[in-house]
Amino acid sequence: MKSASLSVALIIALAGLPVQAKDTVRIAFIGPLTGGVSANGLGGRNSADLAVRLRNADAKTPYTYELVVLDDECKPNVGVQVATKAAADNGIVAGVTHYCSTVAMAAVEVYRKFGLPVVVWGAVLPDITYASDYKEVHRVNGTMINQNEAAARFMTGLKFKRWAVIHDTTDYGKGHNKYFSEDLAKSGGQILGTFGVTADQQDFSAELTKIKELKPEVIYFAGLTPIGVRIRSQMDKLGVKAVFQGTSGIVSDAFIEGLGPLAEGVVAFREGAPAEKLPGGRVFLDAYTKQKYPDDPEAYGPFAFAATTLVMDAIDKVGPDRKKVRAELNRTRDYDSIVGKITFDDHRQNAVPLITKFVVQDGKWLVWEDSDYASGKRALVKK
Amino acid sequence: MIAPVWPALVALLVSTAGVLGLLLAEQQWAVIAIVIAAGVAMLMATRMGWDDRIRRSGGTHARTVSGVAVALVIGMTFVLREHNFALLMLCTVLLTIVAGLGLTIQFGHAGVVNFAGAAFFGIGAYAAAVLANKTALPHPLVILAGGACAALIGSVLVLPLLRTRGHYAALITIAFGILFKTFLEVNDALGGPQGLKVPGFVLFGHAFNDPIAIDDETEWSFYLAYAGLSLVIAAAAYVLVRRLERSWIGLAFDAVRLDETAAAAFGVNVAAWKIAAFSIGNFLIGLAGAAYAMMTGFVAPTSFTFGDSLILVSIVILGGLGNALGLVPAALIVVLLPEKLQVIQEYRFLLFALLVIVILLVRPGGLLPRPMRDYSAGESR
Amino acid sequence: MDPGLLAQHVFNGLMLGVIYALVAVGFTLFFGVMDVIKFSHGDVVMLGAFTALAVAAGLTGMGVTSHPLMLLGMLVVALGLMAVVGALLARLLVLPLRGAPAINVLLITLMAGTVIREGVRLFYPQGSNPKPFPRLLPGGTVEIGSFTLRHDSAILFVIGVAAIVGVHLTLARTRLGLAIRAVAQDPETASAMGIPFTATVLATFAIGSALAALAGVVNGLYYSEISFNLGLLLGAIGFSAAVVGGLGNVYGAILGGFLFAALQTIGAVALPFASAYKDVFAFAAVIVLMALRPAGLLAERSAERV
Repeated sequence: MKSASLSVALIIALAGLPVQAKDTVRIAFIGPLTGGVSANGLGGRNSADLAVRLRNADAKTPYTYELVVLDDECKPNVGVQVATKAAADNGIVAGVTHYCSTVAMAAVEVYRKFGLPVVVWGAVLPDITYASDYKEVHRVNGTMINQNEAAARFMTGLKFKRWAVIHDTTDYGKGHNKYFSEDLAKSGGQILGTFGVTADQQDFSAELTKIKELKPEVIYFAGLTPIGVRIRSQMDKLGVKAVFQGTSGIVSDAFIEGLGPLAEGVVAFREGAPAEKLPGGRVFLDAYTKQKYPDDPEAYGPFAFAATTLVMDAIDKVGPDRKKVRAELNRTRDYDSIVGKITFDDHRQNAVPLITKFVVQDGKWLVWEDSDYASGKRALVKK
Repeated sequence: MIAPVWPALVALLVSTAGVLGLLLAEQQWAVIAIVIAAGVAMLMATRMGWDDRIRRSGGTHARTVSGVAVALVIGMTFVLREHNFALLMLCTVLLTIVAGLGLTIQFGHAGVVNFAGAAFFGIGAYAAAVLANKTALPHPLVILAGGACAALIGSVLVLPLLRTRGHYAALITIAFGILFKTFLEVNDALGGPQGLKVPGFVLFGHAFNDPIAIDDETEWSFYLAYAGLSLVIAAAAYVLVRRLERSWIGLAFDAVRLDETAAAAFGVNVAAWKIAAFSIGNFLIGLAGAAYAMMTGFVAPTSFTFGDSLILVSIVILGGLGNALGLVPAALIVVLLPEKLQVIQEYRFLLFALLVIVILLVRPGGLLPRPMRDYSAGESR
Repeated sequence: MDPGLLAQHVFNGLMLGVIYALVAVGFTLFFGVMDVIKFSHGDVVMLGAFTALAVAAGLTGMGVTSHPLMLLGMLVVALGLMAVVGALLARLLVLPLRGAPAINVLLITLMAGTVIREGVRLFYPQGSNPKPFPRLLPGGTVEIGSFTLRHDSAILFVIGVAAIVGVHLTLARTRLGLAIRAVAQDPETASAMGIPFTATVLATFAIGSALAALAGVVNGLYYSEISFNLGLLLGAIGFSAAVVGGLGNVYGAILGGFLFAALQTIGAVALPFASAYKDVFAFAAVIVLMALRPAGLLAERSAERV
């Protein structure tokens, strides 16, 4: 009797688990894998890859996923090309796309045209979701508006009054400069001088010597890690003593690795809670380490992971059909992810309520509230 | 003895099949197989003397062969009618060839260097963006205006270019290219670093951006219309360049390139011909830029960097300096191959660069070096 | 302006000028002997810096803590290795293309530069991120009013100037220098006089590339940070400086390097409008300069004129 029921159970189990019969569903990942900001693209790629691997390792899910990885080189013309490649391929159901804002701006038209639902994982320009009303385009990370409002309020709250601004002349730096300047004026801060620099500039001594003359309390830097490292390091060389305040673009392990002890006391702001603060975040970081990727996940890796998981959940639920997946993604409310709850507003922009304030302490990005700086043990401005 | 027509036709057929295969290849092994086959075919052609027979046959039956070539490309677009991405790449290759033709007149024929190709491409693209957004100018004219703008703005450089030569002239164009991109970025009048959207091409009321519905079931790609446009522009540009090359103007260009002093001594107006070559070349580059912008629907400064200018120059050198026909395989290698190497993700540029080095070591003069002028063969003109 | 700040700007410009000059001299040497532009030069600068960084990491791993010793090791290995790399590039890529149009050399070296750059990005551990460069020179400062002079910057300036003087002496006083000058002026006649052409070319490329390695190390020590794409801009500027100065003329390259640094500094400091336009200013100035002096500031003596 016992053996009979066991064999019945075994038959049912075998019939219920047609491992080979799982359909394969392809989803695209697009980001910069070559060129100057490739570190972020590779981190995002690995994180998306991790999400897919974890999903495929789970026997209970209805589909096997295949990640089609495409390199947009952070150039809009290449972006349109790869976006077309993904969107025109009917075998690809959805996409997790773009770190660079200009590329995303160019590519959303393509997704619209071909009806490919995508979730943006790293580009921060507000216009990507707000300039048009494309039902295909979603975004899990916040925009630069959220970031700068919080940054201006927080820094003026710390009684800082005089700023100098350095921004790169890409859409990222110029956009941040615009929003921060507006918000700072509202919060009562003063900007003594604004300096635009190119994203591949090496030497900042001329700008910094000029800033030294202006004697600001804070230098606000809008740009990405590579030149952020250079500017902070050259400030030290020229004896410019001011607090270094950055944007989400420098919240990366590479920033600290590039500066060593000089990174101490740098503050920066990013939307969403840090990965290790979230219930699933630790799991993400541990799983990431286990895969032995040669590159770090970087600041937006968790967002790429969350976006990929979100897309796969939608497909698991409604099946690999672009229209249904789009509708399902549009409906996303209070979805639990490793970057916090995801809720899309009427423009399918994740309303990221939380802006995390970061400060570097002893070679780590710490959440401000947990740092010695908040408790008063250390001070940003040395007396 | 009159060369037979078949070697050129066979060569055309084989290359068309190869290109079609490459455009449609999805699998890694297929791409690699095609690339290796092309390499072997190229080597064999040189070793066995086929290339010479093909050249002579092409030269003798120029009209027939060009007609067949155009027919084959049209056939190819038709085969690809439902493949959006393959058509986009085909259009990109065709328009890149147009830009390469512009550089060929400048570099290859008149010896006027231009390391700001991407900047002139960008001028055409931005001109198209502004004119199509702000004015009601018919779109064919918008594209012509893109070329005209590139030629016009290029004339700013004429004075310094006439005074310098070689690497000194190269520096002027490099400086202009970098200046152009930085200016677009820091100045917000033209959209700044965020770029501009460009409306799609409209001809006699037909919007090129709409898919072509055949019946309820089938829909042809909207890129088919752009492929037609690109093909018309490319064919016209090619005919223009070949005609110029074979005419007394081409002779004057050659004289200017080979020896300015001797040319001047024989009464060739060196300055005038340099200006002419530079302007015609920029016109073609701008034309390609305008069409490309309307096809992709977006322009931004980061597409027009010094690096992009170098890519255009690479195409001209790789094809064989001065040979318009060489642009075809070169553009395929430089535009299509990195895209097809997407499967190896972050390693693709490394492999691509190595491949170009190998090609240049095997064929130091480029894929198809420019043949000597030969007036004996060919139909009378 | 406050004299202290003025002095600061002048020193910043001079330091920048030394780095540019070191790169530009390489361009002009190569052009002198082969009439070619080697576009991978900027990436050789970067490779030199990364080689030094790897040596520093290796020595630290072996327990060497003495800064002078580390510095010596880094310089010897980086300069030596880059000299070999430079000679190899010449032997494998430049000399085989002698019969082809000179511009084909530009493409092949451009691609070689891409290979070097992508290779470092992909195969150096975490190579796509900026790397901190060890601070091995004494870090004290001298403050005179608002002028801050760091000891390390001063030492680097002296090293750079010494290297440039060294190149001058090599060219002017040694048999090798004589051979290089002879080949630069007329390869056929030089060969006829018994000067080995290939060996001279290889030696020239080795010297130029060793200088590039030195520029890379100085760059790393000065900025305390290096990244895989630092050679792109440095190469473009070095080329521009060499041309503005007059290709083939070592003194022209040095002058061009300092001039370019001055243009950039003035562009960032003295322009009444936003500093973002400083590159527009610098390159516009280059165009005007070339229109005024078509063969560079110090034209090659044998320049062909009509």
